[in-house]
Amino acid sequence: MIKGIWVEGPVKKGVLDFLNGLLAEKKIKAVLMPAKNKGGDSYAWFLMGKDRLLESADPVPPVMTTQGANVVSYLTKKGPVWEKTAVLLRPCEYRAVIELAKIKQVDLTNLVLISFDCPGAYPLEKYVNGDPEELDESFEVCLGGVVELDGPRNVCAICHRFTGTGADIEIGLMGGEGKGFWLVPGSKQGEELLDGAVGSESDNIDVREKAISDRTIARETKRNNTLDSFQETVMGPENLLNTLSACINCHNCSRVCPICFCRECYFDSKALSSEADNMLQRAQRKSGLRLPPDLLLFHLGRMSHMSVSCVSCGACEDACPANVPVSMLFALAGRNTQAVFDYEPGRRLDEAIPHTVFKFEELKDFETPYIKEYSKV
Amino acid sequence: METMIDSRMMMTDFLTALFDKLDVAGVAVMSKLPSGEKTAFTLFTGKDDIKECVPFFPAMPANAARAVSKFTRQAVPSKTVAVFLRPCELRAFTELIKIKQASFDNLLILSYDCSGVFPFQEINLSDETKLNAYRDAVSTGKNCEGIRPVCAACTRFTPQGEDIAISFVGRSTDQPLVFSFPSEKGLAAAEQLGLDVSNTVAASSAVESLAQERRSAEEELTAEVDASLSDTQGLVNVFDRCVSCHACSYVCPICYCKNCYFDSQTFEYFPESYFIRMQAKGALRFPVDRVLFHLGRLSHMGVSCVACGMCEDVCPVNIPVSQIFKTAGSKAQALFDYIPGENYDEPLPLLAYAEQELEEFED
Amino acid sequence: MANNETDIKIVAFLCNWCTFTAADLAGTSRLKYAPNIRIVKVMCSSRIEPVFILKVLLDGADGVFIGGCAPGDCHYSKGNFYARRKVALAKTLAKSAGLDSERIRLSWIPASEGPRFAHVVNEFTAHIKELGDNPARREVYI
Repeated sequence: MIKGIWVEGPVKKGVLDFLNGLLAEKKIKAVLMPAKNKGGDSYAWFLMGKDRLLESADPVPPVMTTQGANVVSYLTKKGPVWEKTAVLLRPCEYRAVIELAKIKQVDLTNLVLISFDCPGAYPLEKYVNGDPEELDESFEVCLGGVVELDGPRNVCAICHRFTGTGADIEIGLMGGEGKGFWLVPGSKQGEELLDGAVGSESDNIDVREKAISDRTIARETKRNNTLDSFQETVMGPENLLNTLSACINCHNCSRVCPICFCRECYFDSKALSSEADNMLQRAQRKSGLRLPPDLLLFHLGRMSHMSVSCVSCGACEDACPANVPVSMLFALAGRNTQAVFDYEPGRRLDEAIPHTVFKFEELKDFETPYIKEYSKV
Repeated sequence: METMIDSRMMMTDFLTALFDKLDVAGVAVMSKLPSGEKTAFTLFTGKDDIKECVPFFPAMPANAARAVSKFTRQAVPSKTVAVFLRPCELRAFTELIKIKQASFDNLLILSYDCSGVFPFQEINLSDETKLNAYRDAVSTGKNCEGIRPVCAACTRFTPQGEDIAISFVGRSTDQPLVFSFPSEKGLAAAEQLGLDVSNTVAASSAVESLAQERRSAEEELTAEVDASLSDTQGLVNVFDRCVSCHACSYVCPICYCKNCYFDSQTFEYFPESYFIRMQAKGALRFPVDRVLFHLGRLSHMGVSCVACGMCEDVCPVNIPVSQIFKTAGSKAQALFDYIPGENYDEPLPLLAYAEQELEEFED
Repeated sequence: MANNETDIKIVAFLCNWCTFTAADLAGTSRLKYAPNIRIVKVMCSSRIEPVFILKVLLDGADGVFIGGCAPGDCHYSKGNFYARRKVALAKTLAKSAGLDSERIRLSWIPASEGPRFAHVVNEFTAHIKELGDNPARREVYI
């Protein structure tokens, strides 16, 4: 497999030229990727490919409006696409796509997944309330991987999986210093598509690898430190409730979550509804019951449902109307639960979701050694 | 106009009397959360728990009609529970009763003339400056700066269908409460509370001056929305930023469906369909049916829209959803001469008809 | 692409008992009428939801036509009264949202009146031609 192709020149234009080239050669029939919206103050996803891509298409958008995995799921939930379609995804979106493929909410047939070294994203609120042009400009500067993004989302600042490892084609930005980018194949399909791409066979790709490993180490430390100190502020029901006190129980975090695919969420179901007298009893026991009830249960329950697959994409926090640090909470929960099962969401398609498999001998720490205790008595 | 009575009671006395004299099983009311900054609609069962209650706090973190619907939908309480509802929440509650998502059996409904609320993100219990300005605005019958645009343009700010009404606009919160009792249930409660009905109080002129200010604000808002939605381009622009999260529908008290039609399989298509549509237009925006969701939702709940403003509060991309829904909703309501929440006996417009009507729409 | 005559698309929701039968009659009577309508047969005009009408307009059809039995003649006795309310709602909402409510038409056409069906379709098609293309049709950002 070739290591990569170096394409010199402005990054975004170069990527669009590459994709337009694939379309023109009919190697792919369509592209699903973000583009600016009409007003230019936000982004949306577009399926394109009738002739050329929209001028406003942007392979590396500064915000995440709709999580890309959700969009891929919309496109392929009912069946595979018939024609080769390239999808441009952030690394976290790519990982969510793989998780959704495991639970059959995405059909990967005929999809070419393309990802990139992600500089992070601005909070959606900051972008739509701010000056998009100014933000676009300062985002552009960070594409080369030298400068860190100023004021990214909380989870982006501590993201340690910012490359699209595993995707069919990776767009290598790190180490390119904004002077160009590498096209790196990640699969056989990717390699075939890169055959004949305009650019030079890369002899400088170790620059990228070095830049990635440096940032990964820095980010891992930062992530662990940040999450550790965050954990201290939320430990215990009281602290957790305080962290969630602004929460209005609107469940929007779950609606935008790519992993929360259920059409009818358990926490909206009849299972959790009860008679008025029952609620009165609960209110009596606790000297007051917040209505509607079960706010904490919703968050903790959702964690139990999806935290092992949580890719820390931050969509939940972007959508939260009350500015609760949901994405940090779930990043924390995800880090801890994923460690238990040595599971990394989106790493590999053939890695089973932890709840669906078991080993005969495992997780000894979680069992009470019954016989030993018994023999003591 | 109901007679208004000076109760000689402060809010705490009244809440205590609800338990002591009316023997209610609980009171559902806005109260402070332990964090000390935010409030939430909370159910209390004892008079010792009520010290944290702030019934008039100008925030609506959730439409209480939704909460009371969840409280009564499965089975109503076996003993009387008093619930505080803002006028728009009460209207939403009445609409929910019509569609069998709530019941007022064994509820004692308390409401008050509402001075509007701030967007819930923008008001905390410790915001003294804002809260003082709000108190001044209440006592003089003016719109407080910073309240939500739909609140500032709300002309139905006096309750309808409540058992006990507390007069709020034009009064000071550190004076005894002034009540009126528009229903049988309310009159019975007045008797049990042992109020001296001869202590009548005149209506405050502040109510009328607020009503005037609100009417002109409503006209302005309508004109603004109409101008922004004058053609298809306007429609595209207004919803351009929408990310299809459907948060507006989730917090809407009227949108009660557990499985929203717009999240259903009806709007999931086979990939070929997306490709055909992409070919026709050159590019197909995802998520699809984004604008349809809003118009469709309007067609489902617009006639019942009480303009409570929750949808706009939760929109993550600041689309003026509730201003649009208030304006378009009012037009749909005018079409059928229907006022949502006015009377729980009145059928929903799409469930009724007259043989001779709407001639301008047929041929 | 402006006003290519055959390019105009009108989606017609016709009730099974009256207007669809009228359309059938127009066909068997070999009446000529504008070929721009695409018929969707429904059992009763009250099956039409405002969402159908709005969806059709937002997806770019140039007109929506709803045909049902005349008031009092509904096969299910009162379906068309409900239909009229729904169409009125759809038109009102379309108008307040900036869509052209003139593109929506409700007509009562009895089963025996094939010529009237042809006439109404021609008239509506001509009216839509006057209005021009539905701007939503080529709007990528909708």
